Amino acid sequence: MAKPRRSRRTLTTIVVLVLLSVSIITFGQRGGGAIASGVKSLAHDIVSPIANGVNDILRPIGDFFAGAFHYGALAQENEKLQASIGRLRMQQASVASQQRQLAQITALQHLPYIGSLPTVTAQVQGAYVSNFAATVTIDKGRNAGVALGMPVVGYGGLVGQVVEADKSSSVIRLVTDGQTKVGVTYGPAGAFATVTGEGPRVALAAQFVDPAATIHKGELMTTNGQDASEFPKGIPVGRVTSFSVVPGASQMSVALAPAADLSNISYVDVVLWETSP
Amino acid sequence: MTLGAAGRALLVVFTAVIIQLTIGTDLRIGTAHPEILWLLPITAGVVGGPERGAIMGFVGGIAADLFVPAPFGISALVGCTLGFVVGLLAAGGLGEVKRDSPLLAVGAALIGSAGAVMLYAVFGALLGQEQFLDLDLGLIVAVVSIANAILAVPAMRVMAWAIAPSEGSRRRSTGTVGRW
Repeated sequence: MAKPRRSRRTLTTIVVLVLLSVSIITFGQRGGGAIASGVKSLAHDIVSPIANGVNDILRPIGDFFAGAFHYGALAQENEKLQASIGRLRMQQASVASQQRQLAQITALQHLPYIGSLPTVTAQVQGAYVSNFAATVTIDKGRNAGVALGMPVVGYGGLVGQVVEADKSSSVIRLVTDGQTKVGVTYGPAGAFATVTGEGPRVALAAQFVDPAATIHKGELMTTNGQDASEFPKGIPVGRVTSFSVVPGASQMSVALAPAADLSNISYVDVVLWETSP
Repeated sequence: MTLGAAGRALLVVFTAVIIQLTIGTDLRIGTAHPEILWLLPITAGVVGGPERGAIMGFVGGIAADLFVPAPFGISALVGCTLGFVVGLLAAGGLGEVKRDSPLLAVGAALIGSAGAVMLYAVFGALLGQEQFLDLDLGLIVAVVSIANAILAVPAMRVMAWAIAPSEGSRRRSTGTVGRW
């Protein structure tokens, strides 16, 4: 008799756990997102200091293995860096070159499309906390005024949006992530479209582009800042790399490259902008 | 499960979270990195059977959900399902003696991790995250499975320490906990 009782209890346990999981998911999807976010922030606040401490100790080990896994890429990168060093040495004496570099750094500090909006500059600490999301972690959090949903920009344009914020760090969902949806405007008439992420290292896509629209390669799409938009108006999102119209289709198929260089981001600006209700 | 075992299990979950958030996310191949938290339900399922596998999967899944930008609860759902299935297979198909085999640990980690990633992608897609299926799932499955297979044997020992009953209660019961 013991075995059937044990089996019944096991079955009850799994049914309860599955129902509990589904309830948690449903709760999160139907308005409980704020509570889930609060719980996540609390967990980050507790774990982050420990993880940072452990990271400081273990980072060299991680770097060693990462280096071993990426030996080929590192060798290539090393060659490129050597070449860059050579070029830089030649330019070292050139004041003009130094001025150009200074101008680039200054440009990062004063991104033209941000205007007078306040920003917080943050350093990128790590990438991809999940295999299923294109994210980066930055070293500024709620203590610096960073809040959920705030836009994040870099040299060139939109980098992403804050999706987690604890006291001293935040997670940024990159514009390439599959969950990204940004309202944009393009063309001389200011037509509207929606740019969506399609996954890491994959081109962005523009949805709802009229098949009769006049569009050209290299065209810049910027945030439209419509009512209750999550992004202020005028931030460059992406440049058109290809477009095509399938006969009979209700919209044009448009691919874009992110305006910001996401492959090499060290510093970003969090725009202290919150969606108006 | 005794209070002591529950405490040890929570310590193991916490340690796994810290390892995942530190070394785990640094070890990237392309856009994929290991997900060692799937080892919790897999090892608990092999060592402790379907019930403990499911419970450990749920707890570990909730812990994972706290740190990833995805709908809250998906990892918990995948984790308890995974722990239950692995536990059933280990308990029903293999018998008590073979549970101590390192080959079983490695095999369970390989297949279980692949199943976890696929299940996560499918559940995510069903919950509106269709882009989960557009990612390079082959790469993610390979990285997660191989990393977990490498860690499987020590992870089994840790899990056995965490959830195994005391000597006294083991003698009294006909429990299904493996010896690891």
